[in-house]
Parts: sequence; structure tokens; C-alpha cells
Amino acid sequence: MTATPARTEPQLPALLAGIRPRPRWRELVLLGIATLTLTVGGVSLGATLRARDAAGDGGGIPDAAFASYGASLLAIYVVALLLAHAVLVLSGRRSDQVLLPSVGLLGGISLLLMERLPQDLAGQFGGLAQTQLVWLIIALAVLTIVAVVVRSDAWLRLYKYTWAAAGIALLLLTFVFGRDVGGARLTLDLGPVSGQPSELLKVILVVFLAGYLSENRPLLVEQSTALGPIRLPPVPYLAPMAAMWAIALGIVVVQRDLGAALLFFAVFLLLLYITTARASFVAIGIVLFVLGSALMYRLFAHVQQRVDIWIDPFKDASGAGYQVVQALYAFARGGILGTGLGNGLPTVGGRLPIPEIHTDFPFAALGEELGLIGILAILGLYLVVIVRGLRIAASAADDFRALLAAGLSLVVGVQAFIIAAGNLKLIPLTGITLPFISYGGSSLLANALVVGMLLALSDRGVEAPPPPRRGRRLRALFDRGAA
Amino acid sequence: MDAFAASLWLLRLLFLGLLYLFLFAVVRVLVRDLRAAAREPATELGRLHVLASPAGEPPAGAVFGLDAVTTIGRDVNNAIVVEDQFASADHAVLTFRGRTWYLEDLASTNGTYINGSRIDGLAAIGFGDEIQIGQVRVPLERARR
Repeated sequence: MTATPARTEPQLPALLAGIRPRPRWRELVLLGIATLTLTVGGVSLGATLRARDAAGDGGGIPDAAFASYGASLLAIYVVALLLAHAVLVLSGRRSDQVLLPSVGLLGGISLLLMERLPQDLAGQFGGLAQTQLVWLIIALAVLTIVAVVVRSDAWLRLYKYTWAAAGIALLLLTFVFGRDVGGARLTLDLGPVSGQPSELLKVILVVFLAGYLSENRPLLVEQSTALGPIRLPPVPYLAPMAAMWAIALGIVVVQRDLGAALLFFAVFLLLLYITTARASFVAIGIVLFVLGSALMYRLFAHVQQRVDIWIDPFKDASGAGYQVVQALYAFARGGILGTGLGNGLPTVGGRLPIPEIHTDFPFAALGEELGLIGILAILGLYLVVIVRGLRIAASAADDFRALLAAGLSLVVGVQAFIIAAGNLKLIPLTGITLPFISYGGSSLLANALVVGMLLALSDRGVEAPPPPRRGRRLRALFDRGAA
Repeated sequence: MDAFAASLWLLRLLFLGLLYLFLFAVVRVLVRDLRAAAREPATELGRLHVLASPAGEPPAGAVFGLDAVTTIGRDVNNAIVVEDQFASADHAVLTFRGRTWYLEDLASTNGTYINGSRIDGLAAIGFGDEIQIGQVRVPLERARR
């Protein structure tokens, strides 16, 4: 032991040695356009509000506070977006380059909207906009971490029944310990943290459905039960459909959450159709849906009230129909080009025309300020998320990943379209959030989780899935069916 | 209309215009991506990816694009030749009918397995399921499009 081997070449620290950056030019260009868009929006908003301030028509908005922090909030958000981009570049994964800019633009529009609403509407960390910014940054962090860290889907695939059990437990917890807010029992308090479990529940639902449907696809496609002219798969495999229907109805009855029920059932039918390519399933599902809706309408006052408001909001325009009527006026004021950011929403008697505008009616607010042109562009952004998710699904290596990608993007897209349609009085109003735009931590975090998982799934270099296992019982059942 | 109001109006339109510029840029990326995918030959209906093959034929890691009918066995006339001491000459056939893949065991001596359980004659098989013949393990995968 006289000489130690000489090391001449410098050694990178172990942490940095494994990093092989892969440039993402498309994402950077798109982020650049999004940043420019948001900057112009911020300038337009600031100028409008200052002009209004100068005219002595404050309209209940604390303009002085806005002028000092408006631009810096946007700057912080853009830096957070670029940081997320940088981390994705450093991770070296070949994941999708369209989702982050699209979602980032939606989040930025949300920030612009929250800046111009009265800041005392809500907020744990200062005003409304500051709180939304904090949540947006946490959401971006979640998105990036999930996109970089998740390299295998085994933890989702193998434990689908565990996930389903966790989801049902979450539902029951909310039912037992939940807090009633506005007639619906949706909010769960866990110590200092409160959240809406149904946002997380939708992710769990997609994971479970993807696992269940991909495992049983060959059996679902088979038709052995004849019901008149309709041919159905073996009876045991119809059970999940019935169970799903029952759960959706249960959410309506117990939680009084029409939006979540509609979303869950719609996503279930869409995934079932993607799995089997059978229109008959969808037809049966819709029949079940109509029957269930009719039943609920007969039995429950809160459902009845929602539908009555939808049919004729002007019957009680200053009471029950107030929100819906004001939202319609907002869309009408907006017209085609909109009134401009910061110019909408004259207050009625010193208060906001639309209560809950930051959670349930951001689409109406955007419709007023950006007009038809603006909200079409925003719907286009949601469409991009759906199209991209379906594209990731089409190039996935196996059924589980395909269904997971399709389900995750559809759950976000369908939610956006349900609440947009509710705001426009196309369907009865349901109190779910507009993904990435509505104020609120649970919604932002759950949707960030979804996009992060889509990014992780879009990487084709993901390790091969482990050999799947099929239960002996199922196997035996199937063999009997085939014989 | 004074200059301030006019420039504010232009700013509003610029914001809307930039939203559409962003959408246009995204759609261009999507279309380019779809075109690139369309150029790739996409005639295969699925693929078999050899996970383990102790005898070396087919070699582990090999990927076979599948037609509607793919025969598997030790005989050299099969589409996929499996050199394994437990494989029969005409061992199994993989077919795509309608919307589903089926695996049929051709009365082989040592049987064909899906996910570790032996099949009896014809069995439906989904993407992600693992076929085992002798010691050769090949999962069925979706075609990459």
C-alpha cells in the first residue's frame, strides 16, 4: 500500500453526474408566446384599472393595492413557469412539449382574473390573487415533480383496488366529517388544511377505471347475454357499470354534488367506449343516466331546484336564479370582443353581481371581459389538453397506459366543458371548478397532478410494465365463458 | 376617442390576437406531430416483445410486428420460430378478429400460458398480457402509432 491510484480527471458530484439535459425548443417557444400574451394582458388590465381609478370610479376594487403588486405577481408566475421548463429540460425525458405551455397560459389567465376581482373574496395568504399565485406555484411544483419522478406505472397498475378503496374511504370521510358549504357537503377539514376531496377522487377514479377496464377488456368485448336485440357482455361484467351508476347517484344524494356525479359518470362512459368501441354501452349508459336523473328530480328538492332554475332563471331573477341571470347578463355585456380585462363587472349596490364568481363563474367573468373570441380561445386550450392526452393514449405501449392517458385528459376536459355549459345555461348549473382557472387549492393541485402524470406517460422511454397478473377466480370465470 | 382609449383598445385586441397566435402555434406542433406519425409504417396490428428467451431463438429483446394471423412454434415454417425444448412444432396461433386478439393453443404438449395460467384451447388476450411458451415469455403490446 505505497501508492494510491492517481485520479487526474475531475469528478462531477454524484448528483450532477446523471443529468443529461435534453432541449425542449417547442416548449420554450410556446412558453415565450404565452409569456408575451400574459404580459400584454397584464398591461391592458393595469391601464384599464388605473384609468378607472383616475376617473374616480373605483367600483369597490382596491386599485392602489393593485398598482403596486400586479406586475410582480405575474413576473413571479412566469419565472415559476420557466423554472418548471428548466427542470424538465434537465430531467432529459422525452415528454410532451405542448401541455405545460397550454396549462401555464390558463393559469396565467386565472392570475389576471384574480388580480382584478375584489381581493377580500377569499384567501389564506394575503389577498385573492396572492393566494392563487401561491397555489399556482405549488401546483407547478407538483406537476414538474410528478413529470420528472414517475418512471413506472406499476404503483398505479398493481394497486388499483387499493386506490379504489382509498377513494371510497375519502368519500365516506367527507360524508361523515365534511363541512357543509352552500348546501353541498364537499369540504373536508384536516387540521389546518381544508380541501375538496372530489377533486382528488376524480384522479383516483380514472386510475381505477383504467386498471379495471384494461384488465377485463377481452371479456367486456365478448357478447354472451342477449337482451332482445341488444347483445351484452357476460352479466358479471355489467356489475361495475351498475356500481358506477349507483356511486354517481350516491354522490348526488349524499354530497349533493351534481357536478362531480355528472363528471364521474361521463368519464366512465367515455372510457368504457374507448375500451370496447361499442356504442351500445354508451346507449345503455345514457338510458341509465336519464332514468337516474328523472328519479333524482322526483325525489330530491335540491335537484329539482337546480333544474327549475335552469329551465327558467328569470322566474325568480333576484332570488334563486340570481347567479345564472347575472352570468347571462355578463356574457351579453361581453359581446364578441369583450369589454376588456378589468372593465367588466360593474358592482350592483356595492357588491359583486355574481356571488362565487372566483370559483363557479370565472367563465362568465372571462366571457364578459374577453368576449366570445376570448372564451372560444380558452375552450380551445382545453381542447388542446384533450387532443394531446388522446394522442399520448394512442401511442401508449399497452391498454392500461392508453386508458389512463385518455381518462386523465378527458376528466380535465369534460370538467371544463360541464362548468362552461353550466355558466352558459346550456345544462343545469353544477358547482364544479373550471380547471386551472377557478380559485382554489384542491382544484389546482388535482389538475396539476393529472397533467404531471400525462407528461410522465408521454415519455416513450418509460420502463416496460411488469408482467400483469390476473386473478385465478377471474381466469376460471372467463375459461368457462369461452368454452 | 383620445389616444389613451385608442391604445387601450389596441392592447385589448392584441391580447386576444396573442391568445390565437398561441393556439395557432400549438396546432402547428400538433399537426406536424400527426404528420410525422402518419409517415411511419403503421400496418402492424400489434407487436410481440420478447422478454425472456433462454435458448436465444427468438432473441430476447426482439420485437415482432403482428399480422392478423401469427403462428408460433418450433417448426421453421411458423411466423415466429421458438427454439425451446418445451415448445411443440406447431404450438399456438395468435389471431386478431373483430376488435380482439385471441390466442389458440394448437394441442401443444406442454401448453400455452397467459399471465402464468394455462389456457384451454382458445382464449382472448389483451394488450399487456404475457404469453409464455416453454421458457419464452412474450407480452403482447399495442402497435406504436
